[in-house]
Amino acid sequence: MNTNIILAAVGGQGLVLTTNLICEAAFKAGFDVKSNDVVGLSQRGGKVWGSVRIGKKVYSPNIPPKSGDFLLGMEPLEGYRWSGSLKDGGTVILNTKAIPPVPVMFEDAPYPVELFDKLRESYEVVTIDAVEEGLKLGSEKIANTFLLGILAQRLEIPVASWKEAITENVPSKFVEMNIRAFDIGYEYK
Amino acid sequence: MTGNEAIGRGFYEAGGQLAASYPGSPTVGILTAAKSYDEIYGEFSINEKVALEVGIGASFAGGRTMVSMKHVGLNVAADPFMTFTQTKINGGFLLVTGDDPGMASSQNEQDNRILGKFAHCPVFDPSNSQEAKDFVKVALDISETYDCPSMMRITSRLCHSRSIVSLSERETVERPDFSGNILDYGMIPPNTFAKQYHMKDRIEALMEKANTLEINEYIPSDNKETLIVTSGLMYNNLQELDLDVAIYKLGMIYPLPIQTFEQLSKEYGRIIVLEEMMPFIEEELKIHGISCEGKAYFPFTGELHTETIEQGLIAAKVIEKSAFEKEEPVETVARLPMFCSGCPHRPVFDILKKTKKKVIGDIGCYSLSVLYPVEVSNSIISMGASIGIAKGMAKMNKLKGNTEPIIAVIGDGTFFHSGITGMINMLHQYEDENITILILDNGLTAMTGGQENANTGKYLPAADMKVDIPQLLETAGLPKVQVVDQFEYKEAKKVINDAIKHQGLSLVMTTRPCALNFKIKEPHFYVDPEICIGCRTCLKTNCPPILMKSYDGMDKLKSSIDPTMCVGCSVCSQVCPVGAIKRSE
Repeated sequence: MNTNIILAAVGGQGLVLTTNLICEAAFKAGFDVKSNDVVGLSQRGGKVWGSVRIGKKVYSPNIPPKSGDFLLGMEPLEGYRWSGSLKDGGTVILNTKAIPPVPVMFEDAPYPVELFDKLRESYEVVTIDAVEEGLKLGSEKIANTFLLGILAQRLEIPVASWKEAITENVPSKFVEMNIRAFDIGYEYK
Repeated sequence: MTGNEAIGRGFYEAGGQLAASYPGSPTVGILTAAKSYDEIYGEFSINEKVALEVGIGASFAGGRTMVSMKHVGLNVAADPFMTFTQTKINGGFLLVTGDDPGMASSQNEQDNRILGKFAHCPVFDPSNSQEAKDFVKVALDISETYDCPSMMRITSRLCHSRSIVSLSERETVERPDFSGNILDYGMIPPNTFAKQYHMKDRIEALMEKANTLEINEYIPSDNKETLIVTSGLMYNNLQELDLDVAIYKLGMIYPLPIQTFEQLSKEYGRIIVLEEMMPFIEEELKIHGISCEGKAYFPFTGELHTETIEQGLIAAKVIEKSAFEKEEPVETVARLPMFCSGCPHRPVFDILKKTKKKVIGDIGCYSLSVLYPVEVSNSIISMGASIGIAKGMAKMNKLKGNTEPIIAVIGDGTFFHSGITGMINMLHQYEDENITILILDNGLTAMTGGQENANTGKYLPAADMKVDIPQLLETAGLPKVQVVDQFEYKEAKKVINDAIKHQGLSLVMTTRPCALNFKIKEPHFYVDPEICIGCRTCLKTNCPPILMKSYDGMDKLKSSIDPTMCVGCSVCSQVCPVGAIKRSE
């Protein structure tokens, strides 16, 4: 069986790099892996999403309906938006720092804060204020790496493969900070 | 590797020497990958037509060549392509074109396989990154052997999806220098007459070759009811269904292995074609008298995901019921893209919105101005079209006695791509029609990720092009360009409004560079809630950090600015009528 990971974010949050890090870690651990991310017109501030599928043999990079095992929400509303693709009992790993979309900014709709409770009804939900945690280590840019650490707890990919993937793919001056963020995520309860 | 990276790598391995492109989603990453190899000369040309012409020259001169562009780019490059396809091939030539089924980032959904047929050239369609890499070599070999340009048609999903690729060494390919033989390269009649037969013969030869071509894969089954014919990434989506059904997976989708299909049609009860967008393969089979079905069961637009394929096969009665649980989409607040914090387009569209005039938009980040909540640009068609459209509207309005002013906006990248010709056309039979053209010079081709263009040298000394747009236009005889810093909001507003009032052609150029690529690092701004009157003028500039907030002890909502997102452009503080927005220090 393949492991199916959904990623959801706001354009500009670093979804493409995060997708790539998961792929590289899985590849280094000897798995077949395919991924997919939607970029383009959604470059800035729009909704972006991606998928990673890991297993012995992966055909399509797309996750079939309601077959997601994990959902990485880099922003709560975006995590919620894609939660329908998860299996019942799947895991949501959510950065709690909200980015209001235009209808919320323009007071046409409230930010759906009830999403946290709704997600808990059907899924295992792990939340972290990754932006705040990132600032503690020196930059909000490493926020997604905490989420990767939390994901890594639940996957059969050795920690060494993750760290190798991070070291090879993030800008050199951020490597150390990212490794620390990964470790914190890996120990996060 | 992504499909794009794999194509760049494939070109390197195949001994490729020159790659040219014009940036457009989904194919931007191909050239970026190709030119990362020292052995390859790579350039983002000024537009797709020029990229293709640079490629023609390189092929003439005897080196393997690749030109890549998004699907609509080939419309721009179609003129040279449709004649180049008649000439003799010297260095192998590969045209990569990125279709966008489902239109993730495009203004239309055209199916470029038809343009491959139109050009009498073979069309390849890889299904994953490994094939994307390998097919580059196959396509270049065929280009040289069959004396034709090859086309690789990829889709946005293939470009951006990643899968594992095994690498090979680079080959060396020696080709002769340009012969200059006029009969082969001088494409006017009567030299073109013989070429029509040449193109017909090579397609017939390729149709024969298709029957034994290794990248056309037949996966037989004992179940002789149905044969599914497919290509590209859809093959993997089909495989997800794990059906007991025969599959013919085409690596080359034009011309088709017709003899093979004639045989297979006797062997199988029915042939079902699985393809995105137009019924291209289906029609090709039918033209050759092979009975098949396809679009009767599958959508004509959008991508064919596993679940869509399954639904089609249920409708076709190939399978009985769905293997998947039904997924209910979560209904929640929409999120559309918006201009970045500090984006230089923000004040321009805020000013234009307040004029309540109609605006002809163009292609670039500022295309977002058609979306809620900006909704300022009333039309978007194609690269550089705003200027010609503005002229045509002004002329027609005049014939109809309508005197309303026309406003067009165009970015610097789009101006150099093809706006410049429309601009020079303004000199012809221009009277006193009231047209204002705003050139939004942000120093880059921003929307596709910030590629350099003919203007980048103005902001980035290392860039080798530094064309002065106002000087260029004035030298051509156009009116003086009024240059304005749009972060001086009041001044910019006055210049733009005066231009709109002026009866005649007005040219205005704004000067602030792209905030994503040339970061603004000013102290952030904050709202003093004691002064803020809650009028929401700042909010209406639609900047990511600005949000109405409830402050302790205050009944009314007041504005707020998220300091982690504000870059300090100051536009909100300039539109605030009461001076409530202040710079932090």
